[in-house]
Amino acid sequence: MRLAWVCAVKDLRRLRRDPAQLLVWIGIPAFVALLMMLLFGRGEVTPKGLLLVADEDESLVSSLLSGAFGQGPLGGMLTVERVALAGGRERIGRGQGSALLHIPKGFGAAVLAGTPTQLKLVTNPAQRILPEIVTETVSILTEAAFYAQVLAGDQLRGFTRGGAPSDLEVAESAVAFNRLGRAVGGYLDPPRIELVTEVVETGGVDTGRLPAAFLRSMLFMAILFLGMGFSTEIWKEKRQGALVRYLSTPAPVRSFVAGRILAMTLVLAAVAVSGLSAGALVLQVSAARLLVAFLFLTISGVGIYMLFQVAVMFAPTERAAAVLANLLMFPLAMTGGSFFPFELMPDWMASLGRLTPNGWSLTQLGVLLEGRPGPLDVVLVFGGAITFVALMSWLAVGRLRRGFVQ
Amino acid sequence: MIEVRKLVKTFGDLAAVNDASFNVRPGEIFGLLGPNGAGKTTTINCISGLLAPSGGSVRVMGHDVRGDGRAARSSLGVVPQELALYEDLSARENLDYWGGVQGMRNPKLRTRIDEVLSLAGLEERAREPVKRFSGGMKRRLNFVCGILHRPRVLLLDEPTAGVDPQSRAYLLDLVRQEARGGASVLYTSHYLQEAEDLCDRLAIIDHGRIIAQGTLAELRAILGERDLLRFQGVFSAEAVYEALRAEEGIEIAEISETLLVLALPEASRRLPAVFAALSAAGAEVRGTSLIQPSLESLFIKLTGRELRE
Repeated sequence: MRLAWVCAVKDLRRLRRDPAQLLVWIGIPAFVALLMMLLFGRGEVTPKGLLLVADEDESLVSSLLSGAFGQGPLGGMLTVERVALAGGRERIGRGQGSALLHIPKGFGAAVLAGTPTQLKLVTNPAQRILPEIVTETVSILTEAAFYAQVLAGDQLRGFTRGGAPSDLEVAESAVAFNRLGRAVGGYLDPPRIELVTEVVETGGVDTGRLPAAFLRSMLFMAILFLGMGFSTEIWKEKRQGALVRYLSTPAPVRSFVAGRILAMTLVLAAVAVSGLSAGALVLQVSAARLLVAFLFLTISGVGIYMLFQVAVMFAPTERAAAVLANLLMFPLAMTGGSFFPFELMPDWMASLGRLTPNGWSLTQLGVLLEGRPGPLDVVLVFGGAITFVALMSWLAVGRLRRGFVQ
Repeated sequence: MIEVRKLVKTFGDLAAVNDASFNVRPGEIFGLLGPNGAGKTTTINCISGLLAPSGGSVRVMGHDVRGDGRAARSSLGVVPQELALYEDLSARENLDYWGGVQGMRNPKLRTRIDEVLSLAGLEERAREPVKRFSGGMKRRLNFVCGILHRPRVLLLDEPTAGVDPQSRAYLLDLVRQEARGGASVLYTSHYLQEAEDLCDRLAIIDHGRIIAQGTLAELRAILGERDLLRFQGVFSAEAVYEALRAEEGIEIAEISETLLVLALPEASRRLPAVFAALSAAGAEVRGTSLIQPSLESLFIKLTGRELRE
């Protein structure tokens, strides 16, 4: 371990001597992520959603209900668009909209008569925050409508008969509301308006999850750049004759490889801490999850680096190694969700991308951060990453012992 | 102590080292001389454990480099032919790394680093990146990286190649100091004069084979007190042999259609007679050189070519 530390210190000193290179490896992904965020316009803090309303009742009550969504702070977050039911369902199915509120014919009459009735809300599963807001709002409004009917049904029915109410009717209604308000206490029945919610399958993009997805992609792009850049350094060591001298010392080859892993672990840990700290605001997850994510990000990052390390050590020349590292880097970044998040990819491409080492790691990181993984899942994910690192290390040691230096 | 016995190293059909045997004793500087591709570096790589021998045995301080490689390497200090330094690190950082790799620890390591920096004359620039150093400074640092841990066996593969005369003299002094301290030094070089001055014993290697070894006096005895006459031109081997048969004490060391090398005593005095004989043999002489008895002339006699060819 001491020898590995000696080797790691050497690698860290070399990195420190060339901070511009380190900055490029980390800066490019950050820049690309920023461009992508601007390009896709997902960086806004306040979400803006579209509520489709299919009002088949077209009564005063239904108008009041749908109009409530355009009032106050909700008005800044939601645009309400009236649609036909079939058209609304089709648009929600395509992911165009946060939710579809279906107000059936006879809804207003049922509310005023105090008979059971039903509202139907169809939400977009690709969005998280806005459909929840709509659901909560509809729940509150349905309860409010029910209690208004119980408390002041006669007055309300009077308003719906047509024509403007007289001053006397308004005064009588006010008095009646006041009396009823004091009298009802705990005698109210449960609401008789039932809200049925439905979540439909869509191919749409989860705009709420995109900042988190971009963050994960950016982190893995940084890992890919770091892995690519740091792995080719071994060719410089070979060119400078340092490997020849190292192999003539009593220090084991595995200490040299362990030193590189240790150095990279520390660099990746710094990147992971920075990235996840910045992302903690976006992700809004617990400290325990962040810690697990940090550990996984670091270990899987080392695995990706070691993949590059082994690949470049099998290249015949330093130039070929650089070409090979680039050939590996860009397809992995493009297909493995590290350039375009999986959320923006066609399903077939995302499925393939998740099979790449960085794609798999990125998916697992998402699960650790935002999913509900069980203890066994966590153990398996970490076990997979550690096994991969061990396998790559074994190959690197073997290659250093036989063929690479000589 | 280095013991090389019937060492063979092959690459496919090519035998880079073929049946080489020699010893290097403690406190001795042993020179391994040969032209490019003769097998010097391959021999050193086999001793340092970088290459696995195809046959024979190599022992360092009694440890077989194959069976007990780690113990063998723990006694070794290697100064490779090419610089083996991290140019982006400072001299002190390089020494700190190589000392650490050799198992040295602070504060002993720090003290020793100060000593070797002083030996190499690099104290003033110890914190500068090596890439800013001159070639001679890099060579000196390269050398002290190899002796930092006070190795009992030192392998020096052309450590003065491309070095200015001042730095070369400085490095040779360092080599002598190590030998005086009891180290067994195996030294390869292109510079025959340097080897003559420095080495206690020498071996001449060509095409992977050791063709002569001994002290300088023993090697000179092989040549006798004869000079070498080297002719370039057009020669018929049969006619030349016939013409020179009558000349007493002349040995044909090497002959081809374009080259003739003769070993003979008092060559300058006998030059007119040799020219006359060659002329009678129909030879067309375009160039001549006279080489006095030396390691150079011995090398030419043994290999038929100059060391730098």
